[in-house]
Amino acid sequence: MKNFLAALLIGASALGNAGAAAAQDGPLRIEIDQGVIEPLPYAVPDFVPETAAASEYASQIARVIASDLSGTGLFREVPASAHISKVTGFDNPVKYADWKAVNAQALITGGVSVNGNRLTVRFRGYDVFAENELGSGLQFTGTTEGWRRMAHKVSDAIYSRITGESGYFDSRVVYVSESGPKNDRRKRLAIMDYDGANVQYLTNSASLVLAPRFSPTGDRVLYTSYESGFPQIHVLDVGKVQRQILSSGDGIMSFAPRFAPDGRTVVYSQTQGGNTDLFSMDIATGAKTRLTSAPSIETAPSFSPDGSQIVFESDRSGSQQLYVMPAGGGEARRISFGKGRYGTPVWSPRGDMVAFTKQNKGRFHIGVMRTDGSEERLLTASFLDEGPTWAPNGRVIMFTRESQGSTGRALLYSVDITGRNLKPVKTPDGASDPAWSPLQQ
Amino acid sequence: MSGLKLAMAAVAVLGLSACSTNPWNDDLNGGAGAGGAGAGAGALDPASPAYFQQTVGDRVLFAVDQSSLTPAAQATLQGQAQWLTRNADYVVTIEGHADEQGTREYNLGLGAKRANAAREYLISQGVAGSRIKVVSFGKERPLEICSDETCYSKNRRAVTVLAGGLTG
Amino acid sequence: MQTGTKISLAGHGLLMGWVVFGAWFPSEPLPFEVQQVALISAEQFEELSQQRRAPQVSPEPAPLNEPVEVPPAPEPAPQPDPEPETAQPEPVTPAEPDPQVAVLPEPQPEPEVPLELPSAVEEPEVPSLVPQVAPDAQQRPADRVAPVPVAQPEPDTAVAEIEQPEIAPEEGAETEQEVQEATAPEAASDRIVTEENEGEELAASAAPAASLRPRSRPERPQPEPEEVVEAAQPAEQEQPADEPPADTPSAVEDALAEALAGGADVEAPEPSGPPLTLGEKEALRVAVSQCWNVGSLSTDALNTTVVVGVSLSEDGKPDSGSIRLLSSTGGTALASKQAYEAARRAIIRCGSRGFKLPPEKYAQWRDIEMTFNPERMRIK
Repeated sequence: MKNFLAALLIGASALGNAGAAAAQDGPLRIEIDQGVIEPLPYAVPDFVPETAAASEYASQIARVIASDLSGTGLFREVPASAHISKVTGFDNPVKYADWKAVNAQALITGGVSVNGNRLTVRFRGYDVFAENELGSGLQFTGTTEGWRRMAHKVSDAIYSRITGESGYFDSRVVYVSESGPKNDRRKRLAIMDYDGANVQYLTNSASLVLAPRFSPTGDRVLYTSYESGFPQIHVLDVGKVQRQILSSGDGIMSFAPRFAPDGRTVVYSQTQGGNTDLFSMDIATGAKTRLTSAPSIETAPSFSPDGSQIVFESDRSGSQQLYVMPAGGGEARRISFGKGRYGTPVWSPRGDMVAFTKQNKGRFHIGVMRTDGSEERLLTASFLDEGPTWAPNGRVIMFTRESQGSTGRALLYSVDITGRNLKPVKTPDGASDPAWSPLQQ
Repeated sequence: MSGLKLAMAAVAVLGLSACSTNPWNDDLNGGAGAGGAGAGAGALDPASPAYFQQTVGDRVLFAVDQSSLTPAAQATLQGQAQWLTRNADYVVTIEGHADEQGTREYNLGLGAKRANAAREYLISQGVAGSRIKVVSFGKERPLEICSDETCYSKNRRAVTVLAGGLTG
Repeated sequence: MQTGTKISLAGHGLLMGWVVFGAWFPSEPLPFEVQQVALISAEQFEELSQQRRAPQVSPEPAPLNEPVEVPPAPEPAPQPDPEPETAQPEPVTPAEPDPQVAVLPEPQPEPEVPLELPSAVEEPEVPSLVPQVAPDAQQRPADRVAPVPVAQPEPDTAVAEIEQPEIAPEEGAETEQEVQEATAPEAASDRIVTEENEGEELAASAAPAASLRPRSRPERPQPEPEEVVEAAQPAEQEQPADEPPADTPSAVEDALAEALAGGADVEAPEPSGPPLTLGEKEALRVAVSQCWNVGSLSTDALNTTVVVGVSLSEDGKPDSGSIRLLSSTGGTALASKQAYEAARRAIIRCGSRGFKLPPEKYAQWRDIEMTFNPERMRIK
């Protein structure tokens, strides 16, 4: 009965076509244009240990997968306590009815074996209600130390099979680790798995560091360091643990560096005579090109994924706004027109959106808009949110949230681009300026 | 050369920490630091860095999102210029700062504009440009840590830091 | 403090700072060089990258995909699970041959633990999985988005796809009644609630709850005396049995709906039956909508409209083997696959008890083409 009420409430749009189709021959036709948006329930029972040494990994890997999937907000785990069936063998037939009964719509099973320090993980995903496999099974082999990565790879595969877009779990985040009080804040560069595991520090806290960014292949990190007393751009080769300073000259401040998608060029801000403009530099030759020449502050550049355009912020209109220009410089087109100030634009990996920080009426927001400035949507609101970075699949945004007052500290948060699933990312200390890596190879 | 840089960096950092810990500096922030000397300042050596900080006033303040100098700030900078003319051995670094109500990289640009405004004014008062460097810390080095205008107004500043009696 | 002391302090501070800095960086070369980062040694890094090293991926785990033909198992194929223990039998039909799974060897007689099965429509209790964890956020509205906002159900009401009144066995009832636990749809708002629009959202979702819509509406004239109790209110001892449907004002709407659908003479029991009324089609539409979860679809799949064909058995249950993708528009092949799978899940899940359709019109609804158009679900 309630169904009828619901039908009346929402069915207005269907009146027309339902009436028209009333006297048809052949199959009954209906159109569904309303659905629900809720996490998809899934079950991931402990993987089956196939060698003696594998049992710990078998359950830990399942837990990491559950944390990955549930962490997206798109999936919800049916806890083990509700499971009816136990998976005792990886190749045993799945008792779909048992999983249907607990409303697990997807099921992930796996087997783990350990041979020396070699770890092998096999898994399969099932669409429980359709009673078939989600794609075919996969097998990963790696070292036992890399077990978390293998779990993330399983999660990526499952995520991609259910949602149709690539995952982002086997990725890392470089950020600025913060400690100490607000007026004596110590900052150092750190790198971690996207979920906060495996934190490693890349610099010590003797000099201030800001706003790191990954190279397109994730093997190098650009950041700004005050090691010389002036802000200068450093490139850290994560593979060789070496770094290089991209000097823009004695006493010239340079900051806000970003890689071009080709990985060979860097765009950044350079300040001379109080005026901040955008430049690009060829990393190999050091050759510089001026991209803007306005008497205003031009900074926070970000390349479009195809490398043809740059979105950046400028206060040339009198307040901070977003602009898009050709990658080689040239006429810039303003794209932000809402109330307030807009900064830190970041082009999405899919190329269709720009994430930004918005400041309005004393509040800060993380938002997204199309690259022409349309369809602006604010996802968060707080005392101070800033510096969005995109997950490699363009679905999730991580950013810095700073709390208010003399004891205020910065932490990382993530949010789905729908605005759902806002949550903190755990880090050992305060943290700011996250930058997401591409998916690891 | 390297030694000099190190020296400057050291002094800059030291100067900063002095700023945040010495209670005697904070009352001179009004931008009207010149002439605002307390009774105790009379005993300072007029050629000492302490005299520069306290009596002349080592900093000027700015309005929200602005880098133009107020009349009070210009008065302070005139005092600085006179002092620097008398003590020609000093070079200075002007640090530009912003309050926390802004994004990080924009605030670096804003701090640079503030520091540069102070530099230009000192040059207009006869201080050689080669003696004045500028650096911006954006919102990274707040002096006051509360999250309201009483603190913000003190954090929007350009501080002239003496780099010792070295010529160079 | 004496000025002299201050000067002395400042001077000493300067000196100490100098010493400290000198001690920290005794021999650091000019910074404009390529240099080692002090914090990580080569060995440490080797360790690190060891851990980082990408696992090898073999596309097919050898044993999995090789369909090993084994002599037919002594027991019947595992497909038609007897499953008498499930609360409600699945519409089991011989599934399409699935080489991955169906042929897997050893239908091990696993120790069948006779567990008490939860009702299939009841979601397991997962109190720990409430996803909203923002520590500073106040109690947020429902995390679920549905066509109509749904208030939080009574605490002891089970969450189910379909709202069902509680039916308590009654003394002296004329017909046998199934005992049925009251269920209610999971709480939902009609839009995505973000931190930014939270305030307005609360106001918006409050509105329909407060509106004076007719609360109920009689079903199609079916003679079974149904005891209906609103889930929200406790089951009373004395209930008006056989509430005369014609007296309720919404019967007018019912008639109107029928008139609109052009089928005024529903009484004639033709073997094929007259066309479904608007209301009947709407009920089906809504029933499927409630299981059509687009929350885990990619944006690409959310741009894909799929037409799915399905055949129902006479009890209204979908024949899962008959579900097929007829056409898709707007997305890539991959996106249409995901969109189709979500649609298929909706049909199977919400049809598992049988869609409520008039049996006398079976021929009208045996074969159905459902168009799933996510246009309105993209950004709520």
